[in-house]
Amino acid sequence: MLANRTEQKMAIKVLSISVLSVALSACLSEEKQDAKVTINKNPYPSSYQVLPKQNTLLTNATILTGTGERLDNSDILLVDGKVQQVGTDLSAQDVTVIDMQGKWITPGIIDVHSHLGVYPSPQVDSHSDGNEMTAPNTSEVWAEHSIWPQDPGFQTARAGGVTSLQILPGSANLFGGRGVTLRNVPSHTMQGMKFAEAPYGLKMACGENPKRVYGSRKVLPSTRMGNVAGYRSAWIAATEYKRAWEKYESDYNAGKNPEAPKRDLELDTLMGVLDGEILIHNHCYKAEEMAVMIDLSKEFNYHAGTFHHGVEAYKIADLLAENGNCVAMWPDWWGFKMEAYDMVEENVAIVDAVKNSCAVVHSDSATTIQRLNHEAAKVLYRANENGFELKEEDAIKWITHNAAKSLGISDKVGSLASGKKADVVVWNTNPFSIYAKAEQVFIDGAKVYDRFDEKYQAKSDFLLGQAQGNK
Amino acid sequence: MKKNNVLISKSLVSMSKCISVAGLIATTALASVAQAESLLITNAEVHTVSSQGILSNASVFIEEGKISAVYASGETPESITPDSTVDAAGRILTPGFIASNNILGLVEVGAVSQSRDASDKKADITFDASLAFNPKSTLIPYTRKGGITSNVVTPHGGEGIFKGQTFIVDLSGEFNSVIRANDAVIVELGSKRKGSRAMALQKLTNTLADAKKAIEKSEKAKDKSKNKEPKRKELPVHALLKGEKLLLAYADRATDILALLKLKKQYQLNLVLVGARDAILVKEDIVAANVPVMTSAIDNLPNSFDSLHGSLTMIAELEKAGVNVILTPSGESHNINQLRYDAGVAIANGLSQTSALAAVTANVADTFKLNSGRISVGKKADLVLWSNDPFEISTKVDAMWINGQKVSTQSRQDALRDRYTTQSDMPRAYTK
Repeated sequence: MLANRTEQKMAIKVLSISVLSVALSACLSEEKQDAKVTINKNPYPSSYQVLPKQNTLLTNATILTGTGERLDNSDILLVDGKVQQVGTDLSAQDVTVIDMQGKWITPGIIDVHSHLGVYPSPQVDSHSDGNEMTAPNTSEVWAEHSIWPQDPGFQTARAGGVTSLQILPGSANLFGGRGVTLRNVPSHTMQGMKFAEAPYGLKMACGENPKRVYGSRKVLPSTRMGNVAGYRSAWIAATEYKRAWEKYESDYNAGKNPEAPKRDLELDTLMGVLDGEILIHNHCYKAEEMAVMIDLSKEFNYHAGTFHHGVEAYKIADLLAENGNCVAMWPDWWGFKMEAYDMVEENVAIVDAVKNSCAVVHSDSATTIQRLNHEAAKVLYRANENGFELKEEDAIKWITHNAAKSLGISDKVGSLASGKKADVVVWNTNPFSIYAKAEQVFIDGAKVYDRFDEKYQAKSDFLLGQAQGNK
Repeated sequence: MKKNNVLISKSLVSMSKCISVAGLIATTALASVAQAESLLITNAEVHTVSSQGILSNASVFIEEGKISAVYASGETPESITPDSTVDAAGRILTPGFIASNNILGLVEVGAVSQSRDASDKKADITFDASLAFNPKSTLIPYTRKGGITSNVVTPHGGEGIFKGQTFIVDLSGEFNSVIRANDAVIVELGSKRKGSRAMALQKLTNTLADAKKAIEKSEKAKDKSKNKEPKRKELPVHALLKGEKLLLAYADRATDILALLKLKKQYQLNLVLVGARDAILVKEDIVAANVPVMTSAIDNLPNSFDSLHGSLTMIAELEKAGVNVILTPSGESHNINQLRYDAGVAIANGLSQTSALAAVTANVADTFKLNSGRISVGKKADLVLWSNDPFEISTKVDAMWINGQKVSTQSRQDALRDRYTTQSDMPRAYTK
């Protein structure tokens, strides 16, 4: 894995390395040290700015906290972009007080699986940037480099209460590349939407898609065992890469002047997973495949992360909870592929019922992302018809707190606890009613959407100035 | 739901007299199902989707698979002796919902090509996919969970502009589910990945013009015996021109819609627009032409340059303008039971409950000339008893009937759920 001298120099030149203070360690060493090579882990940093905000007190609402509580006739105080307090009879000075009698308030909705911006509307080839289907392992690609922030779907998702969302690459590849978590604010750059503190995700895919796409090209994988061989080979390479960097690090710190390993974008991402910095998001439908993916993660000493789609998660709910996996599921999509044939409408509820579980409802759709509350409602009511005793305060977790947990951001968003980012949705009624609509949406305490005030209804560049009707 | 309690007890009394006549006719016509038991559903909030509106504490009498009487509160004659009675306990009874614009029964698993029968490269205007309909598909019981009792299947055809013909099925799951084959002619217009949309319009126009010329020629011929018999492909076109068949036209952009309205006028076509995503731009023209629009309530995104003007309020706006709207399920065929939720979203965005119900029942029945879609005398007894508001997610189907026969909403999904939620010391495979 080590580069020869010329390549090493090239690497140093190309990568904007940070030159650390090496004087001290150099003094202790007999060998003169070159500048230390480090990898910039955040080369495309967030430039997100909170929209104009004011301190706000929303009163007299039914509040679902996202952590399993329901508070009737309660208030929530948003100060400096954070949830300051949730309770009854709150008051504060210099705040805008809005009576929310009859309304419901929830944390901002979080979608862990979206392709907005990378498979945007309109669906034209020119903007079809969601899946680098040119090799089974494309860990080197980052979804953020494909995002078209003018996708009108961001606005319609916001009108559905979505405040944070992970944009993932597609599922044709064993390793599809990095996903990125965004704040759902209008911006003309991806960086302007980027959730600064959120870890990267790595998209992996089980099953039919990789074997179909590459098998048809007579390239590995053409079978599920080919899939697993592909993952294992990649993790073996990543393990060696990580070891090489660790050796470089320790040798350098010991005062030696080692050659830095040759930088490899693909392996950077996989190493990030092995280091626990990048979270796995694994498109995987079937019980037996998820069980293999869990063992695979143990074989290479990383966490298997979140299983996405997980149509058969209900068959192994115990195993998933025991291993600490989140599972992001649809309530009822099925039948489009063999691996989606064994759908049950109670899947989410069955996964959720196990202790230490992490059940998430996701969209994977520019249409249903607008109504994740309805997606969760379908699970809530179908499950209750069949022996479960779930309540609204339970169901909201699937699209808020548990989703945040899956994305590694539950300490910042996903619940209305004191100190959390003030991502808040005001609903006209019980959000699990078909007649529910988000009326106001706040991100970091700033109003980003208001159903009754056009001033707070953003419009994509793409739709601006398009011809209207004759009348 | 908003109640519209129409006081019609008097008219109902007189109607109940007429009913026995209608009942007799039905008996004669349906000799094959003469064994069907009669059923009285009592104490229901009956949403008739007819001029009778919503009847509280009403009863519906079913004989020989048809509705033989609808009685308002207190009007049910004591002389009635049904084989069985269901007490609705005040719950809502609606006509069974009628889905459309999907390939139910022509697909089991989307990606398994051997399980797909909705298209064929060589399929043309004569394509009769009803021959491939599988009433035993696992999708059908699952679809019933959405209160859907019948369906207008719209195959995808082949490479030409004509995609074949629709067929109508009920969702009984029985081998005689196909109610009518070779129904409407399907044509697909609009944006093309290769080539110009103009060619599709020209092809349609020329096909109609040529057929009209041929018909006129044969009508004028002195010796009609010398007329050439129309080719198989020409027959559906002739039927279109004679007004015997509907033309179901997929088109989204306003220019394509206007072109179709013009053809309708020129050839007196029975036109139905499908998709019509930019219909809002030409809604007055659509109303003036009296053309129904079949579309989804939730396809609000600008997915193409043909559909830049969609919104969740579109259905309500079209309806308000006077367009006869049929709500079609979004997506393909596995989740069409969600039609009722789509209708609910349309209601949340301005459509009235009454219009929403009509858009999934009577409007479809009227357009496709089905003897269902309303709860009134003589209609097929396709009925759904709901636990509550049919459009609410918390509501479920408590009971449903197709042709007066009770049908189950249990599906393969329920069997799988039960297997994995039942405790057992043995592997799950032993739980059946």
